Amino acid sequence: MNVILDKLKEVLYTVLPITVIVLILHFTLTPLETHLILKFLIGTFLIIIGLSIFLLGVDLGITPIGTAIGSAITKTNRILVVVIVGLLLGFFISAAEPDLHILAGQVDMVTSGHVPKTAIVVVVSVGLGVMIALGLARIVYNVSLRVVFTVMYLIVFILALFASPAFLAISFDACGATTGALTVPFILALALGVSMLKKDSEASERDSFGLVGIASIGAILGVLIMDISSKADEITGALEHHALASESIIGPFIEEVPKITLEVFMALLPILLTLLIFQIFSSGFSRRAFRKVLMGLIFAFVGLVLFLDGVNAGFMDVGSIVGYRVAMLDSKAYILTIGFILGFVTVLAEPAVHVLMHQIEDATSGYIKRGLVMIALSLGIGVAVGLSVLRVLVPGIQLWHYLLPSYIIAIALMYFVPELFIGIAFDSGGVASGPMTATFILAFIQGAAEAVEGANVLVDGFGMIAMVASMPLIALQILGLIYKVKSRREA
Amino acid sequence: MMFYSEAVDFELIYVIVNFGMGSKVLQKAKKHGITGGTVFLGRGTVKSHVLEFLGITDERKEIVVMAADKKTADEVAEFLNEHFHFEKPHHGIAFTMPVCDIIGSTAYKHDEIHTEGSGGKVMYNLVVTVVDRGKGEDVVEASRRAGAKGATIVNARGSGIHETSKVFSMEIEPEKEVVFILVKNDITEAVVASIREHLNIDQPGKGIIFVQSVNKTYGLHE
Repeated sequence: MNVILDKLKEVLYTVLPITVIVLILHFTLTPLETHLILKFLIGTFLIIIGLSIFLLGVDLGITPIGTAIGSAITKTNRILVVVIVGLLLGFFISAAEPDLHILAGQVDMVTSGHVPKTAIVVVVSVGLGVMIALGLARIVYNVSLRVVFTVMYLIVFILALFASPAFLAISFDACGATTGALTVPFILALALGVSMLKKDSEASERDSFGLVGIASIGAILGVLIMDISSKADEITGALEHHALASESIIGPFIEEVPKITLEVFMALLPILLTLLIFQIFSSGFSRRAFRKVLMGLIFAFVGLVLFLDGVNAGFMDVGSIVGYRVAMLDSKAYILTIGFILGFVTVLAEPAVHVLMHQIEDATSGYIKRGLVMIALSLGIGVAVGLSVLRVLVPGIQLWHYLLPSYIIAIALMYFVPELFIGIAFDSGGVASGPMTATFILAFIQGAAEAVEGANVLVDGFGMIAMVASMPLIALQILGLIYKVKSRREA
Repeated sequence: MMFYSEAVDFELIYVIVNFGMGSKVLQKAKKHGITGGTVFLGRGTVKSHVLEFLGITDERKEIVVMAADKKTADEVAEFLNEHFHFEKPHHGIAFTMPVCDIIGSTAYKHDEIHTEGSGGKVMYNLVVTVVDRGKGEDVVEASRRAGAKGATIVNARGSGIHETSKVFSMEIEPEKEVVFILVKNDITEAVVASIREHLNIDQPGKGIIFVQSVNKTYGLHE
């Protein structure tokens, strides 16, 4: 049982910090009602168990499938196969992502139907498909990540000039939304499968990363193009705010289950279908391996349902109430500091972060230490959330005031950092903006916005994920710089 | 420079531990006279019916390889055993095996390869070369020129006394590649010489080669 215990221990260390912080807040600044704190504790329990099972499932199921498919399409030696499979996989994975449907639904609502939900889902998914195909082709043809990211973000920048500010926020949020807990491990594994065939081991190592980063640009481009072509300039509608008055403790957990089960099943479906097609039409897995992989998918499914149930039913209310109450305090320093701390600890519990760490360790044989990447990532997200809180407090700050400089810095840094770290940094942007951030931190920011006069819950809410997706680019590249300087020979 | 008599026997210590422990083993060993080591990732099997049913059949391990003269190796192995409690289950395993020669380690200067020294009829030698990441291909190329037929490259990390640094308080071990080459003992010397020359193994920090005798081989074609 050693393996399972180890996984539990690993997860425990990453979920405990956020639990401790919330409990400290409960006993000091913002006492919470008993039913809330009980729900929070049940949520924590579900998250720990769910995350452990999910991660086992990723190791057993999702990663092997992704890697096998990546290798198989590359071995056909036909670029057409690589591109078409990339397109289809990207499209269907993104179209099945629950987070994207939620975001698209919100956009539909706030534009009073000017931008229909289906249109957004389709456009973003096409964008993702195209970019995955492009990203795979890049690995095969050895195109540098520097070139790809510079060109792509230049295009994003030019399109952004023509887009309305509100949509700018939505587009960058979409980039975080499409890269959910199931998508990221699969895309990571896909890239690994293609790049591990390379003879040049240095190239093979660094090319295992970057595909998630490239894929998320697809979502940004999709929404921007959508906005420019539809001319929906103004945000007209309003978002319904769900006020949960239920004092029941167990109730919400049970209510959430059917919805989440369906969502996770939908998200898993493309991967399952891909596996079946792969098994039938190509040599596929051996019977033993196939059974193992299926077991892995079941693990991933069960684990993710438990995890999301814990987050949605246990964490969301607490996030929004803590945000609201802390923002009501006299000194604004509290909300800024707590925003930073919450960002710092929340990202640790993000499922995809674990998967990325695992792949980093495997690809570099442990050369890049997990702890260091975690610290860099946490600092990045802490700053991102802190800045988002600041934007809520100070009405004058626009989202692009943050995004423009940070992307310029990120792009500039690329030219000084080892290519391995570029891939890792841009991947971690998509990785950090997972379900934990999208619920807990988003609720926290929206709660804070409610308490601050003149702040718009909607406008300030959009854009937070964009910040979370952009800060790791800088944080991890700086870590790369440190590594580069430090590992220079002393001899 | 110190002179070691021909009588010095070399040993290789293999330590297999759970993932994440490799660096600690290496650090401890270095304090007891080991001059460097290489860590690579492996997978261990799990023996449990429940886990096998669930499809969990392996767990991540780290394999640490360190070379030293026999006396140091014995001491270090003993010390590691005491410190990491290999006698308890799930604490890892350690074993040592003889090496014909080490090249590239500044602590042990050696020029001749005396493969006959180990006695018995040895047909094949295993030439293991540890170099910086990306250089593995060059090693294979160099060995081929001297007549070797094939090679296996494994990714690893590790450090000698010339190359370690810290980020905050964490030690970084540079990325390495380990190249395993099986050769007939009549060309061992040529292969080693070729690798040595092409990769400047004799300069500090350029890598290390060690040669082991192999009793039996299967699947090798002439």
